[in-house]
Amino acid sequence: MSKPALMRHMPQIAHVDVNCFYASAERAFDPSLEGKPVIVLSNNDGCAVTRSPEAKALGIAMGEPWFKLAPRAKEWGLVALSSNYELYGDISARVMELLGRYSAWLEVYSIDEAFLGVKGTPSELASLGTSMKAAVRRNVGVPVCVGIAPTKTLAKLANKWAKNNKGFAGVCHWDSVPAAEREALLGRLSVEEVWGIAGRLTRRLNGMGIFTIADLVRADPVAIRDKFNVVVMRTVLELQGTPCIPMEEERIGRDQLIFSRSFAKPITTAAGIRQVMSVYGQQASARLAKHGLQAKVLTAFAGTSHFNPKDTSYPSVCVPLPMPTADPVILTKAGHALLPRIVEGVRYARAGIMVTDLRPSGNQAPLSLFENPHEERHIGTLLEDVTRRYGRGSIGLGHGGIRGGPDWTMKRDMLSPRYTTHWGELPLVKAA
Amino acid sequence: MGVIVGPRVIDAGVSLLSVLVSPMPVAAGFPSPAQDYFDGRIDLNAHLIKDVTGTYVVRVSGESMEGAGISDGDELIVDRALEPHDGSVVVAVLDGELTIKRLRITPTGVILQAENPAYPDIAVPALSDLSIWGTAVRCLHHV
Repeated sequence: MSKPALMRHMPQIAHVDVNCFYASAERAFDPSLEGKPVIVLSNNDGCAVTRSPEAKALGIAMGEPWFKLAPRAKEWGLVALSSNYELYGDISARVMELLGRYSAWLEVYSIDEAFLGVKGTPSELASLGTSMKAAVRRNVGVPVCVGIAPTKTLAKLANKWAKNNKGFAGVCHWDSVPAAEREALLGRLSVEEVWGIAGRLTRRLNGMGIFTIADLVRADPVAIRDKFNVVVMRTVLELQGTPCIPMEEERIGRDQLIFSRSFAKPITTAAGIRQVMSVYGQQASARLAKHGLQAKVLTAFAGTSHFNPKDTSYPSVCVPLPMPTADPVILTKAGHALLPRIVEGVRYARAGIMVTDLRPSGNQAPLSLFENPHEERHIGTLLEDVTRRYGRGSIGLGHGGIRGGPDWTMKRDMLSPRYTTHWGELPLVKAA
Repeated sequence: MGVIVGPRVIDAGVSLLSVLVSPMPVAAGFPSPAQDYFDGRIDLNAHLIKDVTGTYVVRVSGESMEGAGISDGDELIVDRALEPHDGSVVVAVLDGELTIKRLRITPTGVILQAENPAYPDIAVPALSDLSIWGTAVRCLHHV
């Protein structure tokens, strides 16, 4: 096989993410925010978690507490918004569904970014990136950037480059950039710009004389493994162009937990998807419990392969949970909201769930109550005894045991309408 | 114009409570003779939405589109993926607001037309000067 022919068949990775996701989702429904500095605040309106470029230009730092910014907001014309997780969850599901049409090999990496396996000639890949970007902007209404490269680490880097360099118009195909330009970039950027390299690791690499990404690319992977670990070695190999970080099926981030999987054999029935959702519901529950977290919103999705363009179906639902929970029963039932949208007989190649709006579960550990077989631990009689001695509401299963105001009713004083998930909060269009 | 009364959910969030309760009564006794013919209820989503990723529901505020059968308080199904053309009812961004108008593309320029004589038309030099948010494809008119 000749080299160009071989290259044509080498799969590459596209990394797609939404620019300033939360702020962009808000702007999609409120165009008056365009051009204004916008920040979105964390749970309970704590601190800035998303900043529009205009807000960054004001010098507002990531994580800056709102109480410090509030006194100057008016003078700056700064718009602060509470986290509208219902909106972000739905917008995310739409973006992922749309991206899934471009590749059967999709890893939803976080609420606003995904990796896709893609194939093609350099010009095909570049135009694929451009059309993905245009489609998300047109259909969903939010801007994305795309980086396409032989490895995940390089794709992330290409995306960052596309974001920061207007010349790319938001899409960077790594291999199409002249080698001299790539090398100049790598020689300019600090190692901490690399995906997975941060803080302490940066300082240790600096101590070894590795300052720029170019320095790290030149490092001996084996020596790096011996000095650090296999994870850092993989990063070096990926920077050198050898793919070694596989597509993941499960990931926990600061704000979300995702389980998604491409099936070895297509699933063609709602009953099959029901099983998959049950497995994910339980996995998500176990994982949330392990991290001491509860979720408030669950998004479930499925999709057909794009190799089978005849019977396409990409159902998704965003389910606000009745309370923050890690309960496997509730998570599974929420996942089952997808089932009415499953078309019988269609060959689904992929399905997944994403739980978002995560928060610490607090001191009470309601999850242990749901572990089977809880009957054997005499939970029922224990509950009765405690209730008899300390009164109603002193103890209970899950949220049944919360005394006083539930701690999960979040403060969201600056919440925008839940435009796409609540019939009473639809976007208003003026007929005047 | 099709009239739909009381639509509940258009690919919006599904309340968990609606999931916990089966919508179909559980049969006990003789199977219904109609059972073999039941093919599922009419699903508005399937008929009214072409591409869920680009479809949003918006609510109309104002009377300037009365002539097109679009009244204050009606809901519109808006498809962002459609290419608007002359005669399309579009949601356009005007002064930072989402505004509903009839799009007219003429040899002399582009006009955003109201469908009510009490409201003025807005002339736009060219289509490229206009930010079109989406194209209305259905009106859920309250009768």
